[in-house]
Amino acid sequence: MADPGSVPRTSETRSPDESVCHALPSGAKLALTLLAILSAGLIPLELWPAQGLLLAAVFTGLSLAGVTLRYLARRLALFLPLLFVFGLSIPVASGDSLAWNWTVSLWLRCTVSFLAGLWLIHVLPFRELLALLRRWHFPVVFVAMLGFMYRYVFILWDELRRLRNARDARDFGGGSRWRQWSTSAQMIGLLLLRAMERAERTHRAMLARGWDGSVRSLDDAS
Amino acid sequence: MHIRDGILGPEVCVAAAVLSAGAVAYSLRRLRVDLEDRAVPLTGMMAAMVFAAQMVNFPLLGLPVSGHLLGGVLAAVILGPWAGCLAIAMVLIVQAVLFSDGGLLSLGANILNMGVVGAWGGYAVYAALRRLLGNGTAATVSAAVIAAWLSVLAAAALFCFEFGLSSNATDFDPRGVFTLMVVYHALIGVGEALITGSVLAFVLSRRADLVPSPAPIGRVREVGRFVVAGLVASLAVAALLAPFKSERPDGLDAVSQRIGFAELEQERPPLLLGDYEIPLPFAGWWSVSLAGLLGTVVVFTGAVVLGGVARWQANRLTLADGSDG
Repeated sequence: MADPGSVPRTSETRSPDESVCHALPSGAKLALTLLAILSAGLIPLELWPAQGLLLAAVFTGLSLAGVTLRYLARRLALFLPLLFVFGLSIPVASGDSLAWNWTVSLWLRCTVSFLAGLWLIHVLPFRELLALLRRWHFPVVFVAMLGFMYRYVFILWDELRRLRNARDARDFGGGSRWRQWSTSAQMIGLLLLRAMERAERTHRAMLARGWDGSVRSLDDAS
Repeated sequence: MHIRDGILGPEVCVAAAVLSAGAVAYSLRRLRVDLEDRAVPLTGMMAAMVFAAQMVNFPLLGLPVSGHLLGGVLAAVILGPWAGCLAIAMVLIVQAVLFSDGGLLSLGANILNMGVVGAWGGYAVYAALRRLLGNGTAATVSAAVIAAWLSVLAAAALFCFEFGLSSNATDFDPRGVFTLMVVYHALIGVGEALITGSVLAFVLSRRADLVPSPAPIGRVREVGRFVVAGLVASLAVAALLAPFKSERPDGLDAVSQRIGFAELEQERPPLLLGDYEIPLPFAGWWSVSLAGLLGTVVVFTGAVVLGGVARWQANRLTLADGSDG
């Protein structure tokens, strides 16, 4: 997982570079991605040229969306070794020649799906996704919770970074394994306490502004 | 732990998505009753907290890898199973949609394995154990430790089941993967159990009011809770025992051989019970039982020790007249 010290680049923190892909309606972005993943899962290995075509299409989409090769290489460097090991475990464990076919098609399927997912997170800002869910009549409370969570993730991230800085300042990041373990557990415990206290505070502030448990959005008013 | 796209067959993904959508909808309905107008801020904040807490790495003793919290049982113990399930579901959604961690199509399977089994199943085990162990600090921590361990193993067993159902896995013997998965998850489960216990012990020593006792429920629901707890426990046991199936024909096979059915079922697809050897030195059946045995010992020791530590801390703070309030 990423270091909380560096908040990962997301579709929100990135500059709003408009590309052909960004201009698509958000439903189409989601549908295209799911379609790519679904067809990657359904194409059998005998039709590997089709899988290759799909890979090329996804790659074209990524370059149209302005994803740099460096970013792509970094993400793939984290993703491919795990996939490689998982795929290898079957033929090695069962000594079955049929399993190699499966392994190769697994590698292809997973890579295409992963790249399609990367395309989506690059072109679909979270705010747009929330609006989409609301438009598709997802339960209002669920969308509200998701929005609430998204808003506070970054705040709690900062909180965690402060806790970690305080810990490192006190013990220079050293100590025995046991000590590291117990301070990490205390850090999560403290984060949990502060998060719950913050939630209670926020809840009182919401009550003061007339919150009655039902969610209203600006879309309803128009 | 997060299932990537392409590992499970599309039809399994869709089925899991339908199941977990139902579970999320049911959780939402029950949540409105439980938390009323506090539902949105409390659940949202819990989800954000679990998400942030997953960034804290724990060194696994003596190993070069590190683990992190999964949080299903922790969230359910603090907020109840319904909010816990929703919180984990939201964590998984944000991880998939924002950070490409875990697949999009397999999101439903991930929610089923970690959110539903982790929060619903884990909470059922926790509540059942609390009934048996009582309401003390040590009992709370021990129950959560055991629930966390069982829920991770049950999730691993469920993954193996989903993987076996996937059309992708019919033309070879997936037992090697199962063995690796279970050994690996026995390790993850120990980490999850000990982290959950340590965090809960800390929370109990500071603000015990944040950890409610499982609410008394009607007799019918009580039975349902015990059934779910038993289901989780037996899934976990199944994960540990599955490789033994290869050692000798199981009951049905033995009977059919004796009576002479065996020729009739030549065409049986080798889904779970193919008769292959596993040449990997670390993937024999004994590695699963060894991992299971060691894990069980570690978890139960951890449950007792962490429970004792929690009680000691609580007493010390009470003696100090709650100065840490």
